[in-house]
Amino acid sequence: MLKPIIALMKKDIKLLFKDKMAVFFTFIFPLIFAFFFGSIFSGGGGASKGMKIAVADLDQTTNSEYFVEQLQKADEFRVEILSESAARESVRKGKKVAFIILPEGFGEDYAGLFSGNPPELLVGLDPARKAEAGYLQGSLMKLGIGRFEKAFGDTEEMIQQLDDSIASVQNSDDIPEDWKALLKDYLPKMKDLTQKELDKQKASGEQSSGFSFGGEDGDNPMMPLKITQQEVSVQKSGPRNAFAITIPQGVIWAIMGCVIGFAVSLVQEKTLGTVNRLAVAPISRTQILAGKALGCFLAQALVVTLLFAIAYFILKVEFNLLKLLMAVAAVGVCFVGVMMFFASLAKTERSVAGLTNAFLVIMGMIGGAMIPLFVMPGWMQSISHISPVKWSILAIEGAIWRDFSYTEMLQPIAILLVVGLITFFLGTRMLKLEEA
Amino acid sequence: MIKLESISKRFDAVQAVDNLSFTIDRGEIFGLLGPNGAGKSTSIAIMCGLVSADSGKVELEGLTPTTIKARKKIGLIPQSIALYEELTALDNLNFFADLYNMDKELKDQRINWSLEFVNLQDRAKDTVKGFSGGMKRRLNLAASLLHDPDYIFMDEPTAGVDPQSRNKLFDSVLELKEFGKTIVYTTHYMEEAEKLCDRVAIVDQGKLMALDTVDGLIRAYGGESQVTVQTNQGLEQFESTNPAKDLVKVLQDSVQLEDVTVRRPDLERVFLNLTGRQLRD
Ligand SMILES: Nc1ncnc2c1ncn2[C@@H]1O[C@H](COP(=O)(O)OP(=O)(O)O)[C@@H](O)[C@H]1O
Ligand SMILES: [Mg+2]
Repeated sequence: MLKPIIALMKKDIKLLFKDKMAVFFTFIFPLIFAFFFGSIFSGGGGASKGMKIAVADLDQTTNSEYFVEQLQKADEFRVEILSESAARESVRKGKKVAFIILPEGFGEDYAGLFSGNPPELLVGLDPARKAEAGYLQGSLMKLGIGRFEKAFGDTEEMIQQLDDSIASVQNSDDIPEDWKALLKDYLPKMKDLTQKELDKQKASGEQSSGFSFGGEDGDNPMMPLKITQQEVSVQKSGPRNAFAITIPQGVIWAIMGCVIGFAVSLVQEKTLGTVNRLAVAPISRTQILAGKALGCFLAQALVVTLLFAIAYFILKVEFNLLKLLMAVAAVGVCFVGVMMFFASLAKTERSVAGLTNAFLVIMGMIGGAMIPLFVMPGWMQSISHISPVKWSILAIEGAIWRDFSYTEMLQPIAILLVVGLITFFLGTRMLKLEEA
Repeated sequence: MIKLESISKRFDAVQAVDNLSFTIDRGEIFGLLGPNGAGKSTSIAIMCGLVSADSGKVELEGLTPTTIKARKKIGLIPQSIALYEELTALDNLNFFADLYNMDKELKDQRINWSLEFVNLQDRAKDTVKGFSGGMKRRLNLAASLLHDPDYIFMDEPTAGVDPQSRNKLFDSVLELKEFGKTIVYTTHYMEEAEKLCDRVAIVDQGKLMALDTVDGLIRAYGGESQVTVQTNQGLEQFESTNPAKDLVKVLQDSVQLEDVTVRRPDLERVFLNLTGRQLRD
């Protein structure tokens, strides 16, 4: 009873491996896809190429704009300017490593060198990227020091600064009296000195060279910036690892390869006439179809195992094994059904390959096998509902980074099973084996 | 024994088989002779249970051909090369043998026997793709004999085969008959039918035109022989149903016979007389 089924499975998998095109599309291409796109996507997040940060400037003063400009110039960052809420959201969704908010008053504090308040930045960091927190802080401090350089580097600017500072010292309530006295004495003197310097420069026609505060950070007694860390609760709507997106996509490509390979092999049995040998043998139609179906399922299981072994051991993609098995089994059932259905429609290898390929590529495109689902525009996401590829990716991602509960897993799995069973039923019903 | 009773099969516009009735005896080589499209393959498919007839009845030793019991007795050599070209000869045979639920020992034994029977034992591990047309035909035969079937259906087994391989194949067919197998052999070559078949059914447009031994068919439908006589009195040509008797008449008047050819009618002639058309188009 089982022997012919196993023989069929073995034979078909052997044939699949003999077909160089099938091997390429089932095994090689999905790996290349997962690797290649995975490394393109993951390049963006790394510190080496600039940390992706979102910046919201609530202050909107020349000083705050100047600071944002410095951030943009810095190699350490790749800056996107967003509204406050969008900036927070981008970190929560894992699209950015950190957000930096320049609150109102930032510019004033930035300019008021001696007002006692270092300018404050609100910084929120993706908790998954804690390792980069120190790096971020260091880089920001370095930029913060720039404000002293800016202040002291330009003489005219400095006079303006000193005037501002004198005014703010006089108006301030929270500066201790003796400090106030000291500054009242010191600041005007400094202003005079600077004024003289400026006049001298103007007389000699020299360009202002100014003082240099020295970029040598660390030994500055004054705090360049006050960095206020803010808690970010990351919403699990974006994967931590780019391969976590491309591996499910690779799985889909691999499964498409299997589906086309097996649909073609089924039609080929007819065109070759080997189906006549199967049909005159003392085995039932059910056994023949079971052999084909299980062969296709097994081939899928093989490539999926291969991909996930690589994902786990090499690309460090983590997943919940039990949920993954559930997802992969449902995806397998779905696509075995799709395979049967398409094999039953076509009469020649060419037409079955063309038909199946066209269907799967379209389903793949709208289902997120190329563009990840979560970056798709809204209209496309709603079209994607009709694609079994979408539900496959969703189920697999549910086991990887979407952290689906078992109940949440049920929806995509149920849809996949229903699609699989309906197409399998129709396919096996319509498939003509006898009259070749 | 295979028994067909008023079998008919229609494909859309084509009446492929039209009210066919005959019996095939155990141990004979039964020929189905007819041009392309005569319905030979369809008839075989019905006898093997691959295609169901629209009407009529088929029995194979009293069994319906589609039953498991009947299938074990059926060996079909399809008209096309029904093999997996990407696999080796041995892989192919292994797979087809597995469809018949044999134990390993018997399977290996039958595979060896089959390979030897078609003389391919030293090519067993080679991919079928690289085989010549004749070798593929032989493997196509071997793959159908693994389960030692009693009834062997050969559908135009010489298509695309060189003359040498063709002769070997004829030997194989006769050898199978020696083993007591019943063979149903379809062809559109009258020479093959004449050479191999104990009885020949002539079919055209799905209909049975005549059924008898080759001699019987020729006697009944062949018409007269062409006799050409060269004597010292000149060349004489005449048609005769009994050449020997008529020849004696010619030779009576003390003429000297120099040369004589008698062209007996063949199955081609039989077909022409039965249908008014040539066997080969
Ligand atoms: N599956 C089929 N569908 C439609 N027509 C068919 C089919 N099989 C055979 N025919 C037609 O039936 C007729 C008999 O075919 P076939 O039995 O193959 O003849 P033969 O084997 O003698 O050449 C032909 O006209 C052929 O075109
Ligand atoms: Mg034929």
